[in-house]
Amino acid sequence: MAQPAYIVNTGLITAIGNDTESCKASLLAERSGVGKAEYLQTHWKDEFPVAEVKASNEELAMKAGVAANWPRTALLSAVAVAEAWLPYADKLQGMRTGFISANTVGGMDLTEQVYKQFNQAPETVPMDNLRHHECGAGTQLVAQHFGFSGFVTTISTACSSSANSIMMAAQMIGNGMLDVAIAGGADSLSKFTLNGFNTLMILDKQPCQPFDNNRRGLNLGEGAGYLLLMSERAMKACDAIPIGIVSGYANANDAYHQTASSPDGRGNKLAMGNALKKAGLKAADISYINLHGTGTANNDSSEGKAVAAIFEDNVPFASSTKSYTGHTLGAAGGVEAVFSALSLQHGIVYPTLRWETQMEDVAFKPATTLQVGADIQHVLSNSFGFGGNCSSLVFSKA
Amino acid sequence: MELYIHSAGIISAAGSNNTDTFPARQEADVLYCAEPDYKDMIPPMQLRRMSKAVRIGIAASKMSLQQAGIEKPDAISVGTAMGCLQDTEFFLTKMTEQEEQMLTPTAFIQSTHNTVSGQIALLVGCYGHNLTYVHRGHSFEHAMINAVLYLQEQPGEQMLVGGIDELTTGSLKAMQLAGLYKDANNNGVVAGEGAAFFVASDTAVANTVCIKDIDCFTAYDMQEALQQVRRFAERNAIADADCWVNGMHGDERDGFYNALSTSLFSNVPVISFKQYCGEYATASSFALGLIVDAMKNGFSKYGIDKSIRKVVMVNHYKHYYSCWYMKIV
Repeated sequence: MAQPAYIVNTGLITAIGNDTESCKASLLAERSGVGKAEYLQTHWKDEFPVAEVKASNEELAMKAGVAANWPRTALLSAVAVAEAWLPYADKLQGMRTGFISANTVGGMDLTEQVYKQFNQAPETVPMDNLRHHECGAGTQLVAQHFGFSGFVTTISTACSSSANSIMMAAQMIGNGMLDVAIAGGADSLSKFTLNGFNTLMILDKQPCQPFDNNRRGLNLGEGAGYLLLMSERAMKACDAIPIGIVSGYANANDAYHQTASSPDGRGNKLAMGNALKKAGLKAADISYINLHGTGTANNDSSEGKAVAAIFEDNVPFASSTKSYTGHTLGAAGGVEAVFSALSLQHGIVYPTLRWETQMEDVAFKPATTLQVGADIQHVLSNSFGFGGNCSSLVFSKA
Repeated sequence: MELYIHSAGIISAAGSNNTDTFPARQEADVLYCAEPDYKDMIPPMQLRRMSKAVRIGIAASKMSLQQAGIEKPDAISVGTAMGCLQDTEFFLTKMTEQEEQMLTPTAFIQSTHNTVSGQIALLVGCYGHNLTYVHRGHSFEHAMINAVLYLQEQPGEQMLVGGIDELTTGSLKAMQLAGLYKDANNNGVVAGEGAAFFVASDTAVANTVCIKDIDCFTAYDMQEALQQVRRFAERNAIADADCWVNGMHGDERDGFYNALSTSLFSNVPVISFKQYCGEYATASSFALGLIVDAMKNGFSKYGIDKSIRKVVMVNHYKHYYSCWYMKIV
């Protein structure tokens, strides 16, 4: 029998706050982080709102105590890892600690600044702009900064990336390969992703409206979210009190289209169903679903139908926190895992912001009223992405 | 751990392992893949839209599935350090030249790092677990570790595991400037690329390669790296290995391998695999493929005539090291 992975601490940075506590305050105040880009230099600044972290690279570097020439993704990662890890860093001597991170853009924010020049006269390009281009480079920078010398890896499965980091960490704690894991992911905004999503015509020119019949698309966001996970032994060694456990996880593939979800959400259903099975729970046991809920016509329809198929007429509270943070891509699973942990801890149901009209093809209504102190025993968190990658996680009270 | 490798599909500069001439050594500073005839593997309409990374990845997958005698695996695990560079560079070039105007989606769609694993799932209709690791010189090793984790939970299933990295003119230039690949002044190592995919399971079958241990570590100093290999050797009692496969690439950085060949492996027959595939972040997947192929078709093509049971593979890509201990069962 696998041992449980306990959630001991969290680290978070998004457009609605620079740590877990300030993000929570924004969620409780129903404050959205979507607005005009201040730091991302793009032609589309006035056209497409984004959910940008309210700090320059220099400010992020200062906060994390690292160099400002790191890719922004690595800077965001360092800030969130510091919050989750540092309070326990000295108490875990001799424990096998893993750092399992995820992202999709790597050092693209730096590469794209010099790429035109690189095509014309590569020798003249400062190597600092290219050195950390790979997705794994940012993880390694952060690992070296914090002295993580054991198992360190990077996962990239588009928008489900960091849900998969948490799954892997739970497996490795479960089978005794690790005692402690910092698991989640990070992604910064970049011109590359903004323009890419624009070619797909799925960006909303206004703040997004997930699960609304008149939804127009998604807002891109950025951030980082990590869980500090421990085995029971590690937790006892540092006298930690668990927030909850990772009770279920599943990864499936929709195998339908490179970017679109199948109309009936086949992969989504497999991921949710298998995660429930892994947790040994019935659908009726779930108290709250943190939806993938990007706000695109395609995702919300497929996901909505898949949720309806699994939960039938008893869909629990379900909402999309992307109406606050935008879609943080490779960070989304980590960010929303932290929101799920907060939901367990404080009994919070986050209202979906800006929801107005019931979807025609999905019968349930997303949660639109804030609740605090609700009886939240089990939270299901969905992360679906390009390449058909679908992952679901279940978090439960310890 | 015990992970059984049932088949291998390799696309490399040394050709594919379903030909008699494999591995055919090419003399060049840049080793691009000798691509196969895709006719029987990929529908032509789809082939036209595929970048090199996607088509070599899919062809290597199909070859390994065919060799294992299965239509589709239960799950897929892929390692790629750089992902789909050709599509990334195409979209980046257009975006920067056209000042973010008039862009089309195809290259962007195919630029994500999980494109290869997603396209395989799509082509064979695999709805199972699907992961992509992008951790530099450990990407393929971590895809293998993921296979171990998956098969512990789903014993008896068959997983497709692969390593893939493509070389483009842009990445070649960038890595020459960074000092890795051979440049005009002949500094650096031979550049390479390739795809190698495997069908793996936890089920023992006669005539398979069984992976008993994989150790991944980073080291910034040769003594530290050697120390780590020695620990690995002790842990697995591999002093009596029948063969060792190493990633020597013929430049001054080979001090590490030379130190091992005069100490730990002083009397052990050796195969240096990077002369066939060149240097790239997931080249260890080519090495595993070479071992699986040699098990089937004989080690004599590498001048080794004794019976081989115990194989050790040691590789590093920059400061990312891995040691593999395998048994032929």
